[in-house]
Amino acid sequence: MRDKLRKWREDNHRNSEQIVDVGEELINEHASKLGDDIWIIYEQVMIAALDCSRDDLAWTCLQELKRQFPGSQRVKRLAGMRLEALEKYEDANKQYDSILQDDPTNTAARKRKISILKAQGKSAEAIRELNEYLEQFVGDQEAWHELSELYINEHDYGKAAFCLEELMMTNPHNHLYCEQYAEVKYTQGGLENLELSRKYFAQALKLNNRNMRALFGLYMSASHIAASPKVNATVKKANVKYATWATNQINRAYQVSYARKKFNNRLKLSENMVVVDVVSKPNTTKWTALSKVMINSKH
Amino acid sequence: MRMSIKLTTQAYCKMLLHAAKYPHCAVNGLLVAEKQKEKKKDSHSTPILCVDCIPLFHGTLALAPMLEVALTLIDTWCKENKYVIAGYYQANERTKDFRPNQVSEKVGARIAENFSEAAMIMVDSTRFTMGCYEPILAIYDHHENKWKCRDCNVDSFDDWCEAQKITSALLEGRSYESLIDFDNHLDDLRNDWTNPEINKSVLHLC
Repeated sequence: MRDKLRKWREDNHRNSEQIVDVGEELINEHASKLGDDIWIIYEQVMIAALDCSRDDLAWTCLQELKRQFPGSQRVKRLAGMRLEALEKYEDANKQYDSILQDDPTNTAARKRKISILKAQGKSAEAIRELNEYLEQFVGDQEAWHELSELYINEHDYGKAAFCLEELMMTNPHNHLYCEQYAEVKYTQGGLENLELSRKYFAQALKLNNRNMRALFGLYMSASHIAASPKVNATVKKANVKYATWATNQINRAYQVSYARKKFNNRLKLSENMVVVDVVSKPNTTKWTALSKVMINSKH
Repeated sequence: MRMSIKLTTQAYCKMLLHAAKYPHCAVNGLLVAEKQKEKKKDSHSTPILCVDCIPLFHGTLALAPMLEVALTLIDTWCKENKYVIAGYYQANERTKDFRPNQVSEKVGARIAENFSEAAMIMVDSTRFTMGCYEPILAIYDHHENKWKCRDCNVDSFDDWCEAQKITSALLEGRSYESLIDFDNHLDDLRNDWTNPEINKSVLHLC
């Protein structure tokens, strides 16, 4: 049980119900065997309890932590989070302000204040505060990612892309950032952005050839480019090739995953597979062709 | 006269299970109805019955590529099963925020292009309880490029008592842990977004 909790902690999983189930039992019945681990478990369980509206459990954990670590900033922040969960935002803000008075560099407290703005629906303010925060703490990846999400929700794709560019620079091997960047570029639209998106989908695939979103994205962006009236024949041809390649890979990926389920019927590959019909017909024709293959592979 | 929309237990159930699985995220999905053979032009038109729900994404909903993939794949699946995409649902990230936004209006409009009676449904999380004592949806119809809210009550359901009973039972039983949305499918292709196991549970409880 301890190992489960540790794994969830390390992976930053938000499976709060499970954490509460496992954690509560661990705390109630096996506390003595946990040693010093118990404190970090109290913290983990408390946060999960807040997620599940289990204020009783959260309060218990908080009290134990207060007793063990009186005057700790980390525990103060947890107390603030409990106030947030109870929607007592003014009190929570006071709590965080007092932490910041003692320690102006406390990043956790600043980020919680931004979360309060987000919870209250004050997106513009949250964005402003987060930008200010990042000017000081440029290396905070979690914050850059949060900012990119805030921008996406406001449909400000240009700024979201900027945030993801920061993340890609510091994490060049992270296929997820590449893929997300490509998605943002695709959503922005326009030929240039589509080409960029295709390149980054391809890059994400290079970093992780099992990233299905990257594969689908490559297909979609290449298809769109090939169908655009603004491209010349060479570019068109190249993108049709990319799209076709992607189709094959997608097809194979489906085959492999369903083969494990031992499906008997065979694939109807024939006429539907190749994306060559790059006429001014709406893209749905091609997509239907692609998806027919995938649907058939399920049966 | 505008045809009204009705939801089956299975459709309502899976919508709520999706929202329950990701309480800290925005979620969205599609509703499908059986394809009508001929258009009935009489004033007492039969309501459109949404028989199933396909959960799509959780988290960031405002990105295009995967949404387009999902719409296309599901559209094809619909054609093979004589269904049509008849609606879109969304539950926003913040509990108190249950108004339609740009994403829901855009997707809803896209669906309405192919199906004029398309409905856009917003889930009101403030009234979301385990007991499911009242329907918690707001149904919007597309009228002259605007979305107008229609009253949602027990008449919007094929069988409200059944829907209430079964949804509540599945929530209590934590069936949402095994609900698969399109995001889960993209993470692992073996994850089946038609949710056959949950469909079976619903039937079993009927």
